[in-house]
Amino acid sequence: MLKYIIKKIILMIPVLIGLTIIIFLILHLAPGDPVDLIVGPNATPEVYENIRRDLGLDKPLLTQYMVFVGKLLKGDLGDSILQRRPVMDMIIQRFPITLEVGVWALILSFVIAIPTGILAAVNRNSTLDYAAMTFALVGVSMPTFFLGLLLLYFFAFRLGWFPVSGYGTWRHLILPVIAIGVTDAAVTARMVRSSMLEVIGQDYVRTARAKGLDENKVINKHALKNALIPIITLLGMRMGWIMGGSVILEIVFNRPGIGRLMVDAIFSRDYPVVQGSMLLLTASILLGNLIADILYAVADPRIKY
Amino acid sequence: MVDRIEIFEEIEPVDDSSGFLVRLFSNKMARFGGIVILVVFLCAIFAPIIAPYEYDAMNLPEMLKAPSAENIFGTDEFGRDIFSRIVYGSRISLKVGFLAVGISMLIGTTLGALAGFYGGIIDLIISGITDIAWSFPVTLLAIAFVAALGPSLTNLIIALAIVSWSGFARLVRGQFLSLREKEFVEAARSLGMSDSRIILKHILPNAFAPIIVLTSLEVPKAIIIEASLSFLGLGAQPPAPSWGSIMSSGRAYIMEAPWVSFFPGIMIALIVLGFNLFGDALRDTLDPRLKD
Repeated sequence: MLKYIIKKIILMIPVLIGLTIIIFLILHLAPGDPVDLIVGPNATPEVYENIRRDLGLDKPLLTQYMVFVGKLLKGDLGDSILQRRPVMDMIIQRFPITLEVGVWALILSFVIAIPTGILAAVNRNSTLDYAAMTFALVGVSMPTFFLGLLLLYFFAFRLGWFPVSGYGTWRHLILPVIAIGVTDAAVTARMVRSSMLEVIGQDYVRTARAKGLDENKVINKHALKNALIPIITLLGMRMGWIMGGSVILEIVFNRPGIGRLMVDAIFSRDYPVVQGSMLLLTASILLGNLIADILYAVADPRIKY
Repeated sequence: MVDRIEIFEEIEPVDDSSGFLVRLFSNKMARFGGIVILVVFLCAIFAPIIAPYEYDAMNLPEMLKAPSAENIFGTDEFGRDIFSRIVYGSRISLKVGFLAVGISMLIGTTLGALAGFYGGIIDLIISGITDIAWSFPVTLLAIAFVAALGPSLTNLIIALAIVSWSGFARLVRGQFLSLREKEFVEAARSLGMSDSRIILKHILPNAFAPIIVLTSLEVPKAIIIEASLSFLGLGAQPPAPSWGSIMSSGRAYIMEAPWVSFFPGIMIALIVLGFNLFGDALRDTLDPRLKD
């Protein structure tokens, strides 16, 4: 198992290299001279040269990339062009606001999806199954930000139960968490159902039934445990989607999280901030995937590499 | 004594293509999905005939009017007719959905076919890149590319194509790996056919079914991402009537004019639901093995 975990960690290295290349290129793919974009057309040549040297743009591309990665490893993401302060400080300050929505949404999603998926699979083709799968289909088709807007309108504006914008208390959290958690639960419930159906069709479940165990025992003891193992991987897979949704919902609910920071920085062309927030968001998702992979190996003794 | 020939004459030749359509549309969900898709397609084609106003025709005295006989979905903050904007907006959703997925299908299928057919070092390199691309979160990566290229619809299509080809590459590679061992490929080889002919004429057609199924399930994803990014202001730019950007401008007036955001939101949910239903039914009919 240790071997499997080490292998998974080693496989992350090329992914991380790919990620740093893409993030490094954000600044260089931008049309036009990045320095012009930053200093504006009225800058004096001295200012222009200073910024150019600050960004290291006078050096060859490969050197620039090496410098970028070198700084990154020391936790230096550069300075914000607009605010003139370290990007690292800015994103560390904003990240918890994004993370709390993401974590609670993930929990809500699994609390809804696991029982729903299992009940649907156990009572296959029953009314319950159809109801659950209809909910799942509607949920899969619902854009998270539209559900967010609906919740905002009805529960914050009309009924006044929750604050319209801002962050800090649990009441600020409820609506964005529901918007992400419910739409995500729809996807997850479908996968839980099919994972459970697959296990129910296995030989060992048939054996358990054949030796006369009652149905409850077959489901709880034999099927459920095995069906839950692939769901751990699902936990990792859904991270990306949840964090992406959380970025968009920060615009809907006016939460000053890292998504808001990134989108604002895209419009003000504050590239170091865009790079830093993108890096942190994607790296946290990749880390989530890695943790899920490791948990999977711990939970399933069959995995030996 | 029973005349055997008679028995054989009773068996009618099966027209498989019509049988396929009958099976597909015997599914209620597929019918609903198909109708939704058809309606949106008709809206896109006949937009100038269906829409009562131009999508960018401003009428400031009539701004933020609630739905009425003149403006059945109401008006936005410039007095533009929401219904007309939504009808024209269907062009953007379909264009982005099909172009982005079409391009990513071409990229993914080409790479997957090369990897699966040749194996060896080519497979190793392509699969490595594919696995890296596969592990990135799609929405965030699309935002990253748009941030780099600048916000516009064309750049959004490019970004979507760049981020979503890996699913096709994985699928096609798997198909090719198993198909290349089949007898008909060996037969084609022994006849001295070129690799490109074997790939395009003999193996690829056998992999069409799963590719089409994946395409039909990727289009709604692309439509949602387009709407999301346009909602953030990173996709279609004003006055283009993308459903996502109509919702974005409605966000500021949601208290006094919720219809500005709600109608395009309902449209996005409907078209995505339509594609999902149709895609699911297509998968079950074409290739039941793909059922998740």
